[in-house]
Amino acid sequence: MMKFMNIFAVILAGLLLTACSSQKIQYGDATAVETTTTGFGSTDLQSIAAKMVDDLISFPPIVQMTANRRPVVFVDKIKNKTTEHIDTESITDTIQTKLLQSGKFRFVDMTAVKAIQEQMQFQMDSGMVDPNKAAAFGKQTGAEFMLYGNMSSITKRNNGVQDVYYKFTLKMVNLESGIMEWAGEKEIRKTGEKTFMSM
Amino acid sequence: MRREILKTLMLASLVTTVAGCAVNETATVTVNNDGTTQQIIESKSGTLSSDLTIADVKTGYVGDLLKTQVTIKNDSRHDLSFEYKFKWLDKNGFEVAIDGRPWTPLTITPYESKTVQGVAPNPSVNSFKILVQD
Repeated sequence: MMKFMNIFAVILAGLLLTACSSQKIQYGDATAVETTTTGFGSTDLQSIAAKMVDDLISFPPIVQMTANRRPVVFVDKIKNKTTEHIDTESITDTIQTKLLQSGKFRFVDMTAVKAIQEQMQFQMDSGMVDPNKAAAFGKQTGAEFMLYGNMSSITKRNNGVQDVYYKFTLKMVNLESGIMEWAGEKEIRKTGEKTFMSM
Repeated sequence: MRREILKTLMLASLVTTVAGCAVNETATVTVNNDGTTQQIIESKSGTLSSDLTIADVKTGYVGDLLKTQVTIKNDSRHDLSFEYKFKWLDKNGFEVAIDGRPWTPLTITPYESKTVQGVAPNPSVNSFKILVQD
């Protein structure tokens, strides 16, 4: 009888535990705070982009510069100096989209140069496009500013506690003069602790 | 001994199942076009309305973009951890850049206040809401 009760208790405990780990798929809020691991996540990406855009469009000399015109910018790569694989292009894509939608800046997309060139070559050489309506070579606008930056991290572990510190730096430099017009920084600290249940 | 381990395991699994459910509540502050502010606190359990207050709301313009600073105060004797988010509205009340800002975690120590700030995503914005959830 005792043995039967023990088996029953184990089955019940097993059922309760599997209730937490069963396959249940649902849509969530893409902007919700995500704390699955201490690794770089969606909340970090979104908070970095929000801080950088807020800082840039409210910096007084930039406000003055963008009051009557929309300067042309190109986005260079963000150097990933962390130990993780982070898609930094995704961060700059979000920043670029937000800046474009603010109506303060315009961008030249260096990732599309080859495709643009092929299309223009087709318009010029294929004989299928009306020469009067074909996009002409040598008329593109050059970027006035360049956005570039770094992403670094410091990770420490001790007795099941993990501390991760991220620092994201974004800079905007004037291509002609070489003067850095603006720089912004976002720091993130995350701490993870191994609890009894996750051991 | 085995019964003790079994009891502990059962209790732990029960606690994990119950702790999976959390209640969300929301506080909303709206700033109108004429500069007046309207604060609406929507709280189901009363935790936010009794422990957390929107102490101050400041608005201004950087160029043609609305900038806001909101001071949130913890009136309780314990640390409060919650998340906040800005929502931006144009003059017709339409939300601008939906899901453009993430929920941001914030912890305030007892009787302390913290200031959070945001800049509107584009010039069409002339009012905003700040949502707070625990």
